[in-house]
Amino acid sequence: MKKVLIGGIGNVLLGDDGVGPYMARLLEARYEFDEGVEVADLGTPALDLIDQLSGKDGVILIDSISIDVETNGTDVVPGTVVLYRKADIMRLRPSVRMDPHSPALVDALLSAELFGVAPRDLLLVGIQAESFEPSCSLSKAVTASLDGVIAEVLRELDRWGVEYRLREHPAELDLWWAAEQTLESSVAP
Amino acid sequence: MAKRITIDPITRIEGHLRIDVEVDNNAVSNAWASCTMWRGIEKILRGRDPRDAWLFTQRFCGVCTTVHAMASVRAVEDALKLEIPLNAQYIRNLILIAHALHDHIVHFYQLSALDWVDIMQIPKADPAATSKLAESLSPWTGNSRNEFKAAQDRVNAVAASGQLGIFMNGYWGHPAMRLSPEVNLLAFTHYVQALEYQRKALQVVGILGSKTPHIQNLTVGGVANAIDLDSASALNMDRLEMIRVLLTDVVRFINEVYLVDVCAVAAMYPEWFKIGKGVTNYLAVPDLPLDSAGSAYDLPGGIIMNGNIAGVHPFKTAADKEFREAVTEDVAHAYYQAGKPLHPWVGETEPAFTGWDGEQKYSWVKAPRFNGQPMQVGPLAQVLVGYAQGHPLTRKYADLAIGKIAAVGGVHVTPDMLHSTLGRHAARAIRAGMLAELAQKHLQLLTDNVAKGDYTVHNPPVFSGEVEGVGTHEAPRGTLSHWIVVKDGKIKNYQAVVPSTWNASPRDASGAHGPYEASLLHTPLARPEEPLEVLRTVHSFDPCMACACHTFDPSGRQIAKVKVL
Repeated sequence: MKKVLIGGIGNVLLGDDGVGPYMARLLEARYEFDEGVEVADLGTPALDLIDQLSGKDGVILIDSISIDVETNGTDVVPGTVVLYRKADIMRLRPSVRMDPHSPALVDALLSAELFGVAPRDLLLVGIQAESFEPSCSLSKAVTASLDGVIAEVLRELDRWGVEYRLREHPAELDLWWAAEQTLESSVAP
Repeated sequence: MAKRITIDPITRIEGHLRIDVEVDNNAVSNAWASCTMWRGIEKILRGRDPRDAWLFTQRFCGVCTTVHAMASVRAVEDALKLEIPLNAQYIRNLILIAHALHDHIVHFYQLSALDWVDIMQIPKADPAATSKLAESLSPWTGNSRNEFKAAQDRVNAVAASGQLGIFMNGYWGHPAMRLSPEVNLLAFTHYVQALEYQRKALQVVGILGSKTPHIQNLTVGGVANAIDLDSASALNMDRLEMIRVLLTDVVRFINEVYLVDVCAVAAMYPEWFKIGKGVTNYLAVPDLPLDSAGSAYDLPGGIIMNGNIAGVHPFKTAADKEFREAVTEDVAHAYYQAGKPLHPWVGETEPAFTGWDGEQKYSWVKAPRFNGQPMQVGPLAQVLVGYAQGHPLTRKYADLAIGKIAAVGGVHVTPDMLHSTLGRHAARAIRAGMLAELAQKHLQLLTDNVAKGDYTVHNPPVFSGEVEGVGTHEAPRGTLSHWIVVKDGKIKNYQAVVPSTWNASPRDASGAHGPYEASLLHTPLARPEEPLEVLRTVHSFDPCMACACHTFDPSGRQIAKVKVL
């Protein structure tokens, strides 16, 4: 049995940064997974992410991304889904650690590698954000991308030979922070 | 001529700390601390049910989740004058202690040890000599030659691969690095071992809080844990035993490794007991309540002004009248609409961004003041306030640490030398020793109370009219306070004054520096373009800019920009 983590990362109080936790809860409500699969809303874990990554065969992380024009050359439309694999992330430089938030995903993965506990496979499903202003709602552009995010997650599980099935009766979607927001995604169950 | 150096981890979105220093003749002549993100999250809380506030505040910060949850329920309980059942106090205290132990271990090994430890010296170390040295300092069982050899092999493999990975950004070979290869290897090996113990501490939080990183068991008026010694799903003797076993391991790591390592490193860098003094007004609040009303505590609080330790002024309660009345926030140099300093209950958060201007506005952090004065918060404040009051547990671990430093390096640390960069590290280790002992005490208190047949965990809140409250917590980074105004069962105003706001405070209207800024003045820099010494002092505060978001920046620019002007 493969040990797999599907983790949503981000701050639910900062607009589109909440897309990771939102997706984790959506996946958990809609699907049943193999026994070795853990689906988690990880919040903004910084270095505690080392623990979450450790000892897993495969990890899928869902997080907002911020690609700017300067580095990319052209604008990236909000809601665009971009995939990063373990090698892509390991190539990046770790942060100079000013505070515990500086060491984020890159540092956690590099540390896990040094400690010999890093997952063999890692996929980051990134969603280009539109806004990080304090808010408990996702932007329209990001909401429209949720279908695509689910498809990428399931495709990766297929590649790893990990089973999942739609729940006959979807569980209640617990988005306590988004009480006044329309909760449905565009995804048909 | 003065040079200006900016250290800015330029990830674009997260709320990061930025430090600017002016350097004259290889010493810091002026300093600015700023935060690069707007802290406007509190606005989200207005109009919501105060019973839910803790769920939201727990998301302010992914590192300090539980502390913001706890301060929030305490704020509402203070507003309602609600007492908390004993079991709930003990369970909360255990969560707070376990989280703090985790946090202190992570801070030292993951976030600051490499300011002092030169990884690139490790290949030169003799593992047998390292083992001999380590065994002379501590009975820890992870100090064998084989342990050190395995850790050294890990570093050799990284060095040989040419891919430095996690070590890419260190100031290796910097002239301010001075440990022997053996001490470097010893500290690095414990950095690897620390991972297991920080995880065990978090497991305690998970058992009591049902989940980490976000606990689920809090409620205004107590906790939601079902206690039933005969039920498999409730908090029962099996679970209490699991916690006891985990804590035993964590306590051993704190006493035999962390505390010893801090003392050993400190003994090798005695000049750092004279650097990094800064603001010597200290503030700590009492915490770890021992009764329902919150009238007796295991951690003392109070204030010390102008470094006058003998003149300590204790606080009686965690929401002491004096504290409630003394706190204001000044925005003279922060990116908010101008106005006079405001008390948090009437605090405003209206942004007015101008861009960085060291003479005018330069930070998103407000300047909290206590009766108009900047205050340093954190383990050093707590240890000094406790030591000055003759608090036996504080004295026990402070004297133990001072004795160890003297034994290793012949350095006699006086209380006055604790106003320093190393003083902050030593105080954090002293506090960890105290908390480790208190973890076992509070587990016993809980076990005994439950064994008596008391299963009560909750007193229901009742709302009416308009009420104000403050919830405090002596968090790993220092005094945290959440300020709430509740009207007709809804939140009217909410402000969080977090520890790093006190410490990272910008100048106020009178021009008085915040603690980070003041502590950097006069720091000597061996190589200004590699400002390792600045990082040492900043890290000694354990900075954490709350309410960070966690977006992934694929440009690979997660490197601090050190800009020399």
